[in-house]
Amino acid sequence: MTDSQSPQTGSLGGAERRPPPPPPGRSYNWREALAPSLISLISIVVVFGALAWVITSAEQWPRIKLQFFNIDAMIAAFPRVLQGFWINMRIWLIVLVCILVLGIALAVIRSLRAPWFAPFRLMVILYIDLFRGLPALLLVLLFGFGIPALNLPGLPSSSLFWGAVAMMLSYSAYVCEIYRSGIDAVHEGQWAAAKSLGLTEWQTMIYAVLPQAVRNVMPAMMNIVVALQKDVALLSIIGVRDAVREAQIYTASTFNYSSLIVAAGLFLLATIPMARLADYVTRRDRARRLQVGG
Amino acid sequence: MSERTAFWRGSIVLLSLLTTVFTQAFAEERTTMDPRLVTPGKLTVGTGDPVYPPWMLNNDPASGEGFENGLVYELAAEMGFDADDVVWVGQTFDQAIAPGNKPYDFAIQQISVTEARKQIVSFSRVYFQPEKAVLALPGNTLENATSYDELRDARWGATIGTTDNDYLVNVLGVTEAAIYNEQVDVFQAMRAGQIDGTLISLPTALYVTAVQVPEANIVALLPPDENDRGHGLLFEYNNPLVEWVDDALTAVIDRGVVEDLKAEFLIADPDLPIITE
Repeated sequence: MTDSQSPQTGSLGGAERRPPPPPPGRSYNWREALAPSLISLISIVVVFGALAWVITSAEQWPRIKLQFFNIDAMIAAFPRVLQGFWINMRIWLIVLVCILVLGIALAVIRSLRAPWFAPFRLMVILYIDLFRGLPALLLVLLFGFGIPALNLPGLPSSSLFWGAVAMMLSYSAYVCEIYRSGIDAVHEGQWAAAKSLGLTEWQTMIYAVLPQAVRNVMPAMMNIVVALQKDVALLSIIGVRDAVREAQIYTASTFNYSSLIVAAGLFLLATIPMARLADYVTRRDRARRLQVGG
Repeated sequence: MSERTAFWRGSIVLLSLLTTVFTQAFAEERTTMDPRLVTPGKLTVGTGDPVYPPWMLNNDPASGEGFENGLVYELAAEMGFDADDVVWVGQTFDQAIAPGNKPYDFAIQQISVTEARKQIVSFSRVYFQPEKAVLALPGNTLENATSYDELRDARWGATIGTTDNDYLVNVLGVTEAAIYNEQVDVFQAMRAGQIDGTLISLPTALYVTAVQVPEANIVALLPPDENDRGHGLLFEYNNPLVEWVDDALTAVIDRGVVEDLKAEFLIADPDLPIITE
């Protein structure tokens, strides 16, 4: 610092005007750049090393390792668990599309302001109270076992179908409320502006409000997408052989829990990219908003 | 001099004390005060919660009425325990197979002994090997099945934790059976037409068709799976009590107790058709 300052003062004092030297500290200081990363690295190694040491030094560790992290058992369980996971993924995608559509339809109905929509608004409110108020597990049991037992002609009896319907009803109630919060967050002036352009209420909703509302709720919606991905496992209780059920079957048969670790790994493989995508969408949206604001 | 005598006297007292402690510890093994018991003086036995007939009647293990609790009280008597010293601990199947310390000396819950399970827990010798029964509602295709091939075409259901699913996979080659948490769920799925039938151990099937789901029928019997050794008592892995309990169990079985209990609680209808291939 000191030796870089002396020529500066010299140049200020001198009569001739030379261009100032580049400001100090601009050159890349390897030590300063590396030190924080090095410290974090050492800290990570120390903390996780200590944790690993504590866990593996436990007296029961060899038994736990045999029962939870048994490579042979994992390999043995993997094909069935993967097969189950494929079912999870398919249910997830189908239910996801259904709830996004159903949720937005419900939210639009609930947010329409004209008085003749009142009965429909009331229906949506009742729907949300009912399906958001009941545990998803209970809905899955009631739909999966109850409705098929009625033996109604023309309706499928598949537990997979009715379980998916239960998930759809439950989640669409949440999704509806998320959309509605997005619609409510659209500034009142937007409604007034659309009205002044001569748009009807329906047109205002479709062309002016909804596009902004959907953008508002993107981060919250990503959250629901990830949550749904895991909650599909609830269908295992009505006999759907998803990843969790396949893993449980292996565990129950051999008393070895390594299959559950396999299932956990598969879920993480699917949900962690989703979480990163959610982060990315949120960040991009925030950047855009800040630009708009500035 | 007095100091020296005191030293010797002290050492002798200490030595004799140590020997008594040691000999007592060994002398107490295989008695009701065995220090290896969860609670010395008591025989702590784990079982399902709730418990089902005919294995245990009236959801009351302590009554001694039923096949399994009847056996436990005979076993306890053989080991020297009074009936009052038998303590029951209720647990789910998941708790029974969970790792770690178990709050009982052994568990009895129709748990089948298999090689894979032996890697994780310890078992006593087998005390009962049930036959498997096929259960279906009237009018179902399973009613007329006479071969494994015909059985294979049906939609099956089973309860998790039982070896019924293993049987379906290993013996019949059914890999896509619907697996439910509870037995009642299997019957509900059967009533809802989601599955055609279920496989279940014969004593349970007899009870179910008599009481729980009277409209269901046992349509066939199947021979035991050779990989399923039958029911055994479940111990924490390497529990040192296994040997003692095994000896007592052998004595009880040799006395014909299991046969008597079978005759009393697990009677099969001799006219049921048997499918063997």
